[in-house]
Amino acid sequence: MTDLKLAQSFALIALNAQSSLYLTNAKKVSLRCMAAAVILEANLEGCFTQAENKLTFHKEVLEQSHSTLYREKVLQPLLHNHTEVIGDLNWWLKKASNLSKKKLKKFEIAISDYLKSINMLEEIPSLLGSDMYFDSAGVEMRAYRSNLETYSRITENIRAEILEEGSVTDEIICMLWLLRESGCMHDFFSRNELEKVNTRMNELYQSNLLAKALFPIQIHHGIELGIKQLLEMKTKFMKTYTGSSINFFFPFLERSQAVFIETEAWFDNSNKRLNSVLTRLRSYGHEVKVIEGGSIATLKIDNMLYDAMPHFVIMRVPIQGVRLVPKHPV
Amino acid sequence: MSRQRSMETILVSEYVSIGELVRLTGSRYSTLKHYTEEGMLPFEQAEENLTRRYRREETVARILWIKELKANGLSIPEIKEALDHE
Repeated sequence: MTDLKLAQSFALIALNAQSSLYLTNAKKVSLRCMAAAVILEANLEGCFTQAENKLTFHKEVLEQSHSTLYREKVLQPLLHNHTEVIGDLNWWLKKASNLSKKKLKKFEIAISDYLKSINMLEEIPSLLGSDMYFDSAGVEMRAYRSNLETYSRITENIRAEILEEGSVTDEIICMLWLLRESGCMHDFFSRNELEKVNTRMNELYQSNLLAKALFPIQIHHGIELGIKQLLEMKTKFMKTYTGSSINFFFPFLERSQAVFIETEAWFDNSNKRLNSVLTRLRSYGHEVKVIEGGSIATLKIDNMLYDAMPHFVIMRVPIQGVRLVPKHPV
Repeated sequence: MSRQRSMETILVSEYVSIGELVRLTGSRYSTLKHYTEEGMLPFEQAEENLTRRYRREETVARILWIKELKANGLSIPEIKEALDHE
């Protein structure tokens, strides 16, 4: 039970289940927000000197021993060779989130190495790598997995603070903004809860100085978030009756998420089929827990929930298996 | 506005919020909320709109006990009954 800083906690949420080898579009969105989280973290810890609306950062603060390597990777490029840099919160957040791909990659390595060193993050074979098509093609895919318990502590703490009456802490205000900018709100709150979150955010905007300064700032990149939203829209459509039937005929439409795990034999019994899938996933190094049994079981694989639907594909011979469809919110 | 309390501070304070209970026990927020609504976790509330406060030691012990009973296969009504007989 350690105290994690803001950027570290957010990184655990943002990096979870992301590809660790490639800079995917979704990971780029996460990394930009993680870089902004570093600025917010430094601000909360009083590393900036504030005069009116301007935040000043002195180089000496970075040189002090307590600043961590990942913080340097974000702040150093913004400082260049200057001894101090002045800008408002909007300027700092935008600058940090606009770091080049190369610098983002260095930042990712710095923060993921740190989180790995304290056993909060690990690299595992990606769930998609267990998909029959990828598995048989021999494509190596790896993904990050956050420590299961810490992940749920962080996300449930955000939910508790915002959905419960009473005051909200500064960390949670920053977290909410980061979740909004990274387009992750839907992953943690149901539709009904989102209405409440919206009301609470409006209240905070009216009453809280940090929220008033932070909430109007937007750092997301239209195109990147647009692609992410398009994929989300596709996922939503695929969940409708028409969508799901199309999806079963053309499974490649949802290939990026719905993973097909083939079973070794034809099973007439759903329990046997489920056990076969569980064994297979565990052999790939995933942590699997059955939340609900039955013919369509709900599985918690690493930190995500999936529905395991019985399914078969026809190659030269029909191959029976299970299609894992992600479930949101967690 | 306030900063989040550090784990050290939480571990010595008498009262904690529901968010801090989540951090302490790793339980889901909705689960703790449900337990509270079922009257399984006693709390104190100064006024209608203020945060519910729980006594840290007793509540954490209670949550761990409920978890244990649940792991033994007891349902919520059965756990409630067990808590009432305490």
